[in-house]
Formats: sequence, C-alpha cells, structure tokens
Amino acid sequence: MTLALFLLALGTFLLRFLPWRGEKSLRAGQAGPALVVALFLVSAFGPPPSPGWLLTALALLGTYLGARLTGNLGLAVFLGVGLYGLLYGLWP
Amino acid sequence: MRRGLKAAWPIALGYFPVAVAFGALGTQAGLPYPWVQLTSLLVFAGASQFALVGLLAQGVPPLLAASLGLLLNLRHAFYGPALRPYLKGGPLEAFFLTDEVFALALKALPGLLPRERRGYFLGLGLGAYLSWNLGTAMGALGSKGLLAWPALGAALSFALPALFLLLALPHLKNPAALLAGGVALAFHLLGQTAWGLFLAGVLGLLWGRKP
Repeated sequence: MTLALFLLALGTFLLRFLPWRGEKSLRAGQAGPALVVALFLVSAFGPPPSPGWLLTALALLGTYLGARLTGNLGLAVFLGVGLYGLLYGLWP
Repeated sequence: MRRGLKAAWPIALGYFPVAVAFGALGTQAGLPYPWVQLTSLLVFAGASQFALVGLLAQGVPPLLAASLGLLLNLRHAFYGPALRPYLKGGPLEAFFLTDEVFALALKALPGLLPRERRGYFLGLGLGAYLSWNLGTAMGALGSKGLLAWPALGAALSFALPALFLLLALPHLKNPAALLAGGVALAFHLLGQTAWGLFLAGVLGLLWGRKP
C-alpha cells in the first residue's frame, strides 16, 4: 500500500515536472486558456443538472459583480463564498 | 514569496474543507493517520488522492489504485508547457503545480517582473500546500465537526469555482478555450471529468497548429 502511494506521488511529480523542463520543442498553444475555462466549468457545474445550478449561477454572478466593484480577486471570492453560504442556508 | 503567499488565500479557503473531507474519509476507511497525512504531503493532488483512498477502501489492489489515480493526473502534463513562457520549471515548482495554482499563476505571472516570478509562484504553492495539509490533519484527527454546519462547508467549497470564474473571464472570447471548455463540461456531465480535462488540454495544445 505504501509502495502504491510512493508510485502515485512520483508519477504525479514527473507528470508535472518533465513537460515543464527547459525544452522549447513542445509549444503549449492554447492549452492554458483551454484548461482554465474547462476547470471553471467542471468545478462549478456538477452532474446532473439540478436546481443547485441556479444557486451556483447566482453566486457566480455575485462573485463577478464583486470583482467588477472591488477589482480585488481575493475579496470577490470571499464575497462569492459568503453569498453562496447565505443562499445555501436559505434554499428550500 | 510573501506576495504569492498572500495571493494564495482564495485557494487555501477552497482547499481547506475538501482536505478536511479527505482526511476524514481516509481514517474512516480504516487507514492509519500517518499514511493519510503522508498522501497529502507527497502527492498533493486532490482527485487522485480521493481515488486512491476510495479504491483501497473497496479492496482494489494498491498498484491498480495508484495507476488509476495517476490517470486522473494526466492533465497536469499540460500545465508546465503553458507556464514555460513566464517561468522555467524546477522540481520544487513542479511539486506545487496543482489545478488552482496553475490557473492563478497563468493570470498573475505575465504581469510580474521575471525576477519576481519564482518567489511568487512558490508562495502560491506553499500557501495551497499548507492549507491542504492542515485540512487533512484536522479531518483525519477528528475535527470534521468543523463541517457539521452544511452551509459552512458548502460555502467554503464554493471558493474554488468562484476563483476559477475570475481566472476564466479573460478567456471567454477565446474560441479554443470555449470549445475545450464545452468538451470538458460534456464529459464531466457524463461522469468522465478527468478524461474531459485531458481532452481539453489536447485541444488547446493542438489549436492553431499548422498540419
């Protein structure tokens, strides 16, 4: 069991490290933006479609407005978290 | 590094409840606390850690469980090349390269002076790592009562989607990003999140390449 843990740790590290080393042959193209948008969508909307999506959408809107009003990423996240918690508590 | 540590707090906020859940799951599955903590200390990749512990608890052979956990992390191979224009990756940087650290670094690094980038990145990674391991310890050692209020746990978990939204906003007019995001979401809704993210990375990598 411990061997499996070490293999997972080593494999994960190599997946992160080897493609990032100095070689210039591998160009990332649009992989960065593509992955950021993909990570956003899969983190926000869990299967299956449900009323929870509306809750998430409202809290995301609050986060966006928070970012527009404050210009501070951390504060906007904090506002979104507070709004989500409030809506979650009030949700029937 | 201090700047990166300060910038890491939205990540830390989101990681903490997930790590508490991981720690609690591990010990509830009968795994010894030191082993559960070692998983967070050495692997530092949430989805694959959950998979490893969950599969072991179901009696799956350890090497098979590790291999499946590794498959979930295939998408990490795309992060380094995307960051390379801004920061050369060393072993320490690579160790800290999670989904959230990558996304925040991709937004912040271009705006920093080259000499500031490594410290900033390491600060980001360290903040995330400390939160992940502290949460694991608290969950494994019985403090999962912290999440006894469902609204608190749910609210803290929302920090990661909120953060990703703000990081994704500048890319929402990028056709490659939209296509990749749509593919990832479709796979996610079918229960194949890891493969969807991997395909999103491949699509982004291939986008605009000359045949």
